[in-house]
Order: sequence, then structure tokens, then C-alpha cells
Amino acid sequence: MATMTTTDTPAARREIERPLRTISPRVDIYETDKAYVLLADMPGVGPEGLDVVAERNELVIHGRVDGPARPADCQEFELAAYRRSFTLTEDLDAAGITATLQDGVLRVEIPKSARTQPKKIRVRTE
Amino acid sequence: MDGRAMWQPWEEMRRLQGEMERLFGDLTPTWRWPLTGEYPPINVMRGDAHITVDALCSGVDRPTLEIAVLGDAVMIRGERKADPGAAEERYHRRERPLGAFTRTVSLGEPLDPDRTQATYAQGILTLRLARAPEATPKKIVIQN
Repeated sequence: MATMTTTDTPAARREIERPLRTISPRVDIYETDKAYVLLADMPGVGPEGLDVVAERNELVIHGRVDGPARPADCQEFELAAYRRSFTLTEDLDAAGITATLQDGVLRVEIPKSARTQPKKIRVRTE
Repeated sequence: MDGRAMWQPWEEMRRLQGEMERLFGDLTPTWRWPLTGEYPPINVMRGDAHITVDALCSGVDRPTLEIAVLGDAVMIRGERKADPGAAEERYHRRERPLGAFTRTVSLGEPLDPDRTQATYAQGILTLRLARAPEATPKKIVIQN
């Protein structure tokens, strides 16, 4: 049975050599009492290809991916680099930001600054 | 077979689609749903010894991930779940698709389920599928 590969055509070489696109990753953002949590789908990004930078009032997430070793025989998706920025408001503690990456999902936790966290008022009974 | 001389309409269409996406900038998501509209999108690479299938499915709950091989078909099943720490009413933005998915792909060549290998790394499920012994190409020696 013959298997046809297209790796050695000029068109296929162009496909491999051209730079990867950059796209905006899809995100979820939710709030807890103590923090905001940002989840971003960034399949193909490893820890060494990931940058999470908080500067002044901006949070930037940037992920790099490796291009394919050779073009697929049947291709439905194409890996791309990811970049997206978010505005950090003053009620957030930029110094306390933590980030983890698992199974292509970036999770960034941005703590609220202490003064904006809800305080539980203890009710005294006499 | 020399593939260079062949007209490849799907290849041409795919390249045209790529050009259109570049023209319109980065508005399109990572995956394209060109013909099937099914999740997860896959790339198939046929080698001499194996067929490799990459499926783009980040954040799948690992215990739900299930792969089955039957005949010439491979089935991928899994579920993307919401973050357990998130209360429904406290979302500010919700763009990531969630839910259970099943996709079955027929690869057109009998596969050997016992020699299938699967890895899940960086949100990409990679299946390394071995052809069934009867489907392995055999070199025919010309006699005379």
C-alpha cells in the first residue's frame, strides 16, 4: 500500500518555514473572596515557552509553541503563538500573582489587595 | 508514487483558507473546523510504521479521557470540566468551551489495538497507532 507524503513539495516547505501566527487565547475569569482567577487555553505551550508578566497596570500572557516537524497529511488545526493582555485595577495585588500550567491550560491567580477583601464582622452577643 | 505531480485539491483549499486567515488577522481561534466541525480537531500523519494522530484538547479531565481502537477507527472521548473552585455567578468572562465530547475517526487502514500508544502533554493528545499485520505494506519481489 503506497502512502503519499507531501513533505518534499515546495509548497509544503513553505508551510513549515513560514512563521507561526499569534492568536488571542480563550479565557475564563472568575472571582473568589480573595482573588481573581484567570484560565487560558494554550495547547502546545510548555513551561519554557510561557511568559506571564505584570507591569504597572497590565498583565500580559505570552506563549510560544514549536512548529510541526513536518506538515500533517490531514490537518484540521494549526498551532499558533498566544498573546493577550489584561488591565489590572488598583484593587489587585500584582506582587502576589501566581501562575501554573497544566495540560495546556494556564491558571493565573491574582490576589485582591488586603483592603478590598471582604471582612467578616464578628457579631458580639451580650 | 511520486506525489509532486499530483493535483491536490484539499491541500490547495487548506492553503487558501490559511491565506484568508492571515489577511483577516488574528481573529480566528487556534483550531479550524474546515469540513467536520467536530471536537477535538485532529492532525493525521502517516508514516511507514505508524499513523500518528494529534488531537488538540487542552484541559481535559484526565480520568475521563478514553481511547478505543476498533478496526480502522479510533475513538476519543473525554470531558472538559469547569474549575471546581468557581461559583457559577462569579464569572466575569467565559470563553472556554466545556463539556463532554466523543469523536470517532476512520483512518482507512486496519489498526492493531494492542500496539496503540497514547500520551497527553501540553494539552495535545498524541496517539501512535500501529497498522494491523495484514495491513502492513509488503514488498513484492519480481520473479523471472
